[in-house]
Amino acid sequence: MIDLLAYLLITVALLFMALGVIGLFRFNDFYSRILISSKIETVGFLTIMIGLIVLSGLTYATMKIFLITLLVMVTNPLSTHAIARSAFLSGYTINQETRR
Amino acid sequence: MTFLETTLLVIAIYITLVLVRVILGPTIWDRLLGLNAISAKIIMSIVILALITNQSYLLDVALVYALLGFISTVLIARFIEKKGDIT
Repeated sequence: MIDLLAYLLITVALLFMALGVIGLFRFNDFYSRILISSKIETVGFLTIMIGLIVLSGLTYATMKIFLITLLVMVTNPLSTHAIARSAFLSGYTINQETRR
Repeated sequence: MTFLETTLLVIAIYITLVLVRVILGPTIWDRLLGLNAISAKIIMSIVILALITNQSYLLDVALVYALLGFISTVLIARFIEKKGDIT
């Protein structure tokens, strides 16, 4: 029963990550791509890690997985923000002709 | 093939697709975004591999990879932003 819940969570996470990869090809300017990628990647990472925690039960390794989840939950939005800030301050603008 | 091995295979397919975006990417920030996404997916695969083989020291590798990926992404972004002048 609890394994089934973990498999369901991991499948949902794989679907989220598939949406992120599709969005990386679907949009054709950089700011849309970074928006979809950052949101979907963070949510997919959290969901798959919660699924793995549920799957592996309460052991010593679970605390380490929890620590990795906490770390990535803080650092992934920060690094995405650093990339977007770098693009904005370097003067990247959206090309109005190819905009959809 | 168990469920976790199938998950590992699907994540490998995602990494290949993001790599296509890194190669095609018109600007340098697209490539940096692809580097960030690939680094997150590699952390997931290391954790799943640690659960498959039941070796918990691989989780330390994942922890160090998360820290190094964050530092490298922020450093390259600031390097581009300051146009090569890091002080």
